[in-house]
Amino acid sequence: MIAIKLAFRNLLGAGLRTWLNVSVLSFAFVLIIFYNGMIDGWNRQARNDTRDWEIGQGQFWHPDYDRYDPYTIKESHSQLSDEINILIKENKLTPILITQATIYPQGRMQGIILKGIDPKQKILKLPSSYLENVQDEYSAIIGKRMAESTKLKVGDNVLVRWRDKNGTFDARDIKIAAIFNCDVPSVDNGQMYISLNVLQKMMNLENEATLLVAGKDYSGGKLENWEFKNQEFLLEDFNKLIQAKKAGGVIIQGLLLIIALLAIFDTQVLSIFRRQKEIGTYIALGMTRLQVVGIFTVEGGAHSILAALLGAAYGIPLFMYFNTVGISFGAPDMGLTIAKTIYPYYSIKLIITSIILVVLSATIVSYLPARKISKMNPTDALRGKLQ
Amino acid sequence: MEVIKINNLVKRFPMGKGYFTALNKINLSFEKGEFAGFVGPSGSGKTTLLNIIGSLDTPSDGSVIVMGKSVSDLTYKQSARLRNKHIGFIFQTYNLLPVYTVFENVEFSLLLQNISASERKKAVMEALEWLDIADKAKSKPNMLSGGECQRVAIARAMVKKPEIILADEPTANLDSENSHRILQTMKKLNEELKVSFLFATHDEKVMKYLDRIIALVDGRVASDEKNISKLEIKV
Repeated sequence: MIAIKLAFRNLLGAGLRTWLNVSVLSFAFVLIIFYNGMIDGWNRQARNDTRDWEIGQGQFWHPDYDRYDPYTIKESHSQLSDEINILIKENKLTPILITQATIYPQGRMQGIILKGIDPKQKILKLPSSYLENVQDEYSAIIGKRMAESTKLKVGDNVLVRWRDKNGTFDARDIKIAAIFNCDVPSVDNGQMYISLNVLQKMMNLENEATLLVAGKDYSGGKLENWEFKNQEFLLEDFNKLIQAKKAGGVIIQGLLLIIALLAIFDTQVLSIFRRQKEIGTYIALGMTRLQVVGIFTVEGGAHSILAALLGAAYGIPLFMYFNTVGISFGAPDMGLTIAKTIYPYYSIKLIITSIILVVLSATIVSYLPARKISKMNPTDALRGKLQ
Repeated sequence: MEVIKINNLVKRFPMGKGYFTALNKINLSFEKGEFAGFVGPSGSGKTTLLNIIGSLDTPSDGSVIVMGKSVSDLTYKQSARLRNKHIGFIFQTYNLLPVYTVFENVEFSLLLQNISASERKKAVMEALEWLDIADKAKSKPNMLSGGECQRVAIARAMVKKPEIILADEPTANLDSENSHRILQTMKKLNEELKVSFLFATHDEKVMKYLDRIIALVDGRVASDEKNISKLEIKV
């Protein structure tokens, strides 16, 4: 307790030198929290968007279905049982039938994934209701990215060619009923959505689906002949991407932290060199060497506490501002799930972890030079004799 | 009551390939309430002897018993406790802690003794009043004159009511008037509180106040004069 009290007195007594170190460290503090807050905000928004637009509360897959292997699509479909159909009617599940197809926009050929979706479904944000009560049942909705790459507009017809369950080619024009705007590229790029019943009819796969998306109300029970894939499995790729981004950020944050810690280390070395008489006096007054080491270590470590307070003074208003207005990245299309405006997310865990990281590292770099005190001869220290 | 007993004390410091003997076969003892001083030229071993008595250093040979405890046998923790409880230090350059106020400087030793805040405050204010610097309690050392700084140092040494105060050239940085004032204060402290004072000095002003003068030459006791009424050092 006495070490903390004395350390803070010494630190505040040191004036400008303290505040320079504290400022650099507080900048590192704020930047670490800000960067991680941005990544967490992106992560949170992207997970929510992916959940709302694509994966729901999890999916039941046909056992043969592999999202990374298009050759599995052809055989990955099976009948919907009565039990499943009841769950679909109760809006607890929504079936999706998937097939490969080719479209010919402006005379060009482009491979796509054609998905059949229930127009009445409410589980996903996809505006499938545009496929309900349409004059032409061969209508489709596509995403903005798909519309841009194919130059298709609402009302345009596009020739679609597909194979039915027997492998027979068929083709016809499909009308674009709506174009939706979505931050999840995997819902948009190269995807075309038509009514499930229509696709089932086109494929000769009555009452069949490739996967079932679970809604909020789904209790989570198993379905025979379907494999449940939870959100973590379905977000695996995105999680890896976030981890990679965080790891990349660690290098920048680490460098910044090292600069701040070097300043503290330097101050500590200088402080111990300059304050030998003071160290000798502490010992003469009855402190043990370890207590003096404690004072100097806490003194260095206390930079981080002051940095946290200073960082909070200008960081909290800054974070609150960005949290309200967000940070706009325009309209990025990097193939990643990323919103146009990211709202940073600062969790308690992030703040506490950052505080612990900075306090701990500042304390360690303060301890390293302070160890020298334990080897110092008090009589030499009192004379201020160079060590 | 004997507070310090020194037997055949030898202190050597490494120098080049050999050793330099700073203190050689010193035998002395001090009773409670003595007002004594080590005198002699620079390099005679005065400060080294004071440091060993203050358990800041250890003998190379022989023994130094302070308050019944052998300095050589004490652990770091025990010697820190000995200094904190029984020994006060006064330095030539005052050695006040610059970022603390006068009050905090004097309070420091008591903080290490886990004394309650109210008792600390009472003891510190008593010490400051005794030394006539109570009005400077909130000042920082850089706002004080040399004499005032040394009075703060005395207050710091006496506040914990130690049995022994070791003063290393306490008047070296003071003018004549301040030196006398400080010495009178120390003498008063010695007489009223029966605190033993041991000085290391070569200041004649100090010597005039001492009841016992031990002259050191080349690390040996050249003379030990007790109950002297005037300066008479045999070297």
